[in-house]
Amino acid sequence: MTDAVTTDAVDTGDHACLTFTDAEERLDLVAAFVRDGLRSGQKVVCWTDTISPDGLADELTARSVRPRAALRRGQLSIAAVSGSLLGPADVTAVGMVKVLAGEVATAGREGYRGLRVTADMAWATRPLAAAGELMAFEAAVTGLLGEGRLCLICQYDRDRFDAVTLAFAAKAHPKTVAAQVYFEHPLLRICRQYSPPGVRIAGQLDYRHRDILEQALTESTRLDRHMHLNLAGLDYIDGACAGVIVAAAMRLPASRRMTVTCRRAVATVLDLVGGSAAASMRVQQAHEQQP
Amino acid sequence: MSSSPDPPASRSRRRRSAAQAPEVVDVDHSFDANGLYALRATLAAHASELGATDQQIEHLIIVGSELANNAVRHGGGSGRLRLWHHGSTLYCQVTDQGPGIADPTVGHSRPDPRSSDAGRGMWICRRLTTELIIENGPDGRGTVVTAAIPAPKIRQPGPDALR
Repeated sequence: MTDAVTTDAVDTGDHACLTFTDAEERLDLVAAFVRDGLRSGQKVVCWTDTISPDGLADELTARSVRPRAALRRGQLSIAAVSGSLLGPADVTAVGMVKVLAGEVATAGREGYRGLRVTADMAWATRPLAAAGELMAFEAAVTGLLGEGRLCLICQYDRDRFDAVTLAFAAKAHPKTVAAQVYFEHPLLRICRQYSPPGVRIAGQLDYRHRDILEQALTESTRLDRHMHLNLAGLDYIDGACAGVIVAAAMRLPASRRMTVTCRRAVATVLDLVGGSAAASMRVQQAHEQQP
Repeated sequence: MSSSPDPPASRSRRRRSAAQAPEVVDVDHSFDANGLYALRATLAAHASELGATDQQIEHLIIVGSELANNAVRHGGGSGRLRLWHHGSTLYCQVTDQGPGIADPTVGHSRPDPRSSDAGRGMWICRRLTTELIIENGPDGRGTVVTAAIPAPKIRQPGPDALR
């Protein structure tokens, strides 16, 4: 098992495994991977399974990536994994490697300096899926990466794959991609968000984790010109922590912004501790939802 | 407490109906730092059962939690929360055995977010309540804070719940 890196640390020639437990984390990392690929002039291919190609395009849009224009000019391609990587007939490792090699060749012909591919491997967890072929594919793909034109991130849902497959996946991939997590507990998760860049907090946050909140905000203040605080999954915040967020916004110079996405209960507390008086702070209402 | 000469106690005499918990309450919950999650879940469940709206429940949780946080942080590490309703008002009362609140008028102005936490919880509570009564116990031990949250839609109590 390798140490986890963030998506900005993967480049052409890399074969990385993205393991995740919640959909937000996966989509955030995928969005950052797509965004960085498009920005650096590479071709980007997303093979999706858990959600439809249209759904994935919408999720990318929601995360500050603009997929539509890239889709139109052919720099980005989003397709269901069945019908692309998996092909029409029996799923075989050889067939999948061939599909991938075809994409590398096409991207080269189209003049792109590299190809980024991300594939949702959830298909292999369905009954009668050729899970063995997935393992063979992950091992066989190394040959393609040696040419230095391909970067591949394979997505594995930790809740859906068995421990044996996950252990194999970790071994078959030279790199592991994961979000930087500041705090992880069943009732509170504080992690870095990559697209749009900032911090994501879910669960319940009070004065007992104020130090970790301050650490995450300090890091985001240092790294991100405009900070995005994704609190859509936050059920509760106390005045102490809301005060920390508002104070961080007030310390930003006038040219920088902090955008907070949260539900009504959290917005109420942010407003009461002075959020509306912080000129650089914008609060967006997230959909009321049960986490 | 009626013999106490200090202003909060005399104020509480005038507002006895609001500040005094009835014998039958909707929630009577002891808590410490590890029980704050459970406390919020309990408040949400009972307020929902009473027919409070989502926003009223949010306000109750915000207020109840700030008072409970105060008790844990400054009031000896633990406390007791009682919730009852009367007419169209929810009453949330938090009792602790701490050193008391020196300034019973705390929280009437908004603290600067860039300065310390002092008074922020009470400021939040005062903004979401129609009444917030702070009473210090005799001999300067313990605090009772009673918050009134308007909840026009709550189910009216049956005769057995009235005292």
